[in-house]
Amino acid sequence: MSQFFSQYFDFNFISHHFSQVLDGFSTTLQLWAVSGVLALAWGLMLAVLRQTPGRLGLIVRLPAIAYIDAFRGIPLLMVLVLIYGGFGALSSGNATPGPIPEAIAVPTWFGKPSAFWYGTMALVITYGAYMAEVYRAGIEAVPRGQTEAARSLGMSHGQAMRNIIVPQAIRKVIPPLLNDLIALMKDTSLVSFISLSEVLLVGFDLQAKTFNSSAVTLGAIMFLVVTLPMARVVDWLIARDQRKMLRGASTDDPGGPPVTATATALS
Amino acid sequence: MEAAPILSLQDVHKRFGQLEVLRGIDLEVARGEVVCVIGPSGSGKSTLLRCINLLEPPEAGRIYLEGQEITGQAAAEGVDFVRRRVGMVFQQFNLFPHKCALDNVCIAQEKVLGRDREEAEAKGRALLERVGLADKVGEYPDRLSGGQQQRVAIARALAMDPHVMLFDEVTSALDPELIKEVLDVLRELAAEGMTMIVVTHEMGFAEEVASKVMFMDGGVIIEDGTPGEVLGNPKQERTKQFLGLVLEH
Repeated sequence: MSQFFSQYFDFNFISHHFSQVLDGFSTTLQLWAVSGVLALAWGLMLAVLRQTPGRLGLIVRLPAIAYIDAFRGIPLLMVLVLIYGGFGALSSGNATPGPIPEAIAVPTWFGKPSAFWYGTMALVITYGAYMAEVYRAGIEAVPRGQTEAARSLGMSHGQAMRNIIVPQAIRKVIPPLLNDLIALMKDTSLVSFISLSEVLLVGFDLQAKTFNSSAVTLGAIMFLVVTLPMARVVDWLIARDQRKMLRGASTDDPGGPPVTATATALS
Repeated sequence: MEAAPILSLQDVHKRFGQLEVLRGIDLEVARGEVVCVIGPSGSGKSTLLRCINLLEPPEAGRIYLEGQEITGQAAAEGVDFVRRRVGMVFQQFNLFPHKCALDNVCIAQEKVLGRDREEAEAKGRALLERVGLADKVGEYPDRLSGGQQQRVAIARALAMDPHVMLFDEVTSALDPELIKEVLDVLRELAAEGMTMIVVTHEMGFAEEVASKVMFMDGGVIIEDGTPGEVLGNPKQERTKQFLGLVLEH
C-alpha cells in the first residue's frame, strides 16, 4: 500500500516539482481560455449560419451543416494531428513554397509556440461544431411567436435573430455551454500529443524520467480544482432553471422551457 | 363618394399540406373601418390575418395594400412594405421576455425605423401611458398580468405608426376580469379612426365597435354586413347555428 502511495502521492516529489507542474497547468489554462472564447464565438456563428432561411440561404446553410456534422464526427486528436503535420509542410516559407502564409502555417503569435496555436485551432474547429449544436437547441427552444412578433414589427431575419432570438437562446443554453467548456478544458491535454508543454506533458516527462506518477496526479488535482466548482455551478444553474420552470408552469410565460443538460461533463 | 380601399383581398387561398384553410377570400377594407371576424375555431380566421401581413404568404389570390400589390411577384418587396404599415397583436402576446415593457416598445422603433433612443423612448412612454401602463414601463413581462402584457403588445405595435392593425383573438388567453381593459384600448383606437381587423369571440364588442362583421367557416366568408345584419338578423343557417351556440352560455 505504501508503494501505491509513493507511486502516486509522493509528497516530497510533489513539492519538489510543484512549480514545474503549475507552469504546465498555466499553459493549460491559457490554451483553455483562448480556445474557449474563440469556440464560443465560432459556434454561435455556425449556429446562426445554420438558421439562414429560404432557398438562397441554402448556400450558407448547407456548408454550415456539413461542417458541423463532419467535425462532430471526427476525433479531436486526428484534427490536431492533421493540422500539426500538414500546416508546416504547406508553409509559404519552405524551400518549395506552399499555399499557406508562413505566419499562419507556423504561428508564433504572442510569443506562444506553434503547438499552442495548432492546439487552439483544433480545439476551436471541433468545439465550435459541438457548441453550434448547443446554440441550435437554444435557438429552436425560443417559441415561434417570438420570431413572428419580431417579424411583424418589421425586423429582418437578421435583426430578429440578433435582437430577439439569440439573446434568449443564449440564456437557455448557459448550463450546457459551461459543460462543453469543462469538456474542452479536459481535452486541452490532447495537445500534449504534439509536444506542447502543458500540464499532462510536464507530468508525463517527469514520470518517464523518474518512474514516479505523482506529478501526473498533481496535474489531475489541479484540473479538479477548476472543473469541480464549474460543475457545481452548472448543477446549480440547472436546478434554478427547473425551479423557475415548475413555478412558471401555470402562467403564460412565453419564454418556453430552459434547455438543460442532464449529464455533466464530469459524469 | 367611395374612397379606394386601404386593403383589398381577391380570391385568397392558403393551404397547409392537404388542408385548405382559406378557400377564396374576398375582402375590402376602407380606411377607418373596423372589421370584426367571427367564426368557429379552425375556420381560418387567424390564417386570414397571418396572410394579410405575409407571416403565411397565400398560395393564390391577390392582396393589395394602399393600392400596391403585396402578393405574387411583388411578395419579396411586399414583406417590408406590409410590415411597416400593418401592426399585429397576437393571442399569446409574444412580448420579448428579456426586455422590459419600455424596451419592448422601443426596440423595433430603433432597429427598424432608425429612431434614436430618446425619440423612441418618448414615444414608448406616451404609448404605455395611453394604454394605462405609465407605472409599468420598467417591468419585465413575467411581472405583468396577461391584460397588462397584451396592452404592452398593443403599444409595441402602435409605436411603428401602422396604418392598419390586426388583432388575433387578443383576449382569448385572458382571464375574464382582464378582458375589459384590453377591449377598452381597442375601443379607443377604433374611436380614433384606426383601421382594424379584429378576430374575436367577444360578440358584444363586435356589435358595439364593428363597422362590418364577417362570419367565416371552413375557409370561406359565409356572411358579412353590419353588426345589425350579421349578429342581429343573420340570413345564413350556419351563422344562426354558430351565434346560437355562442350566445347560449
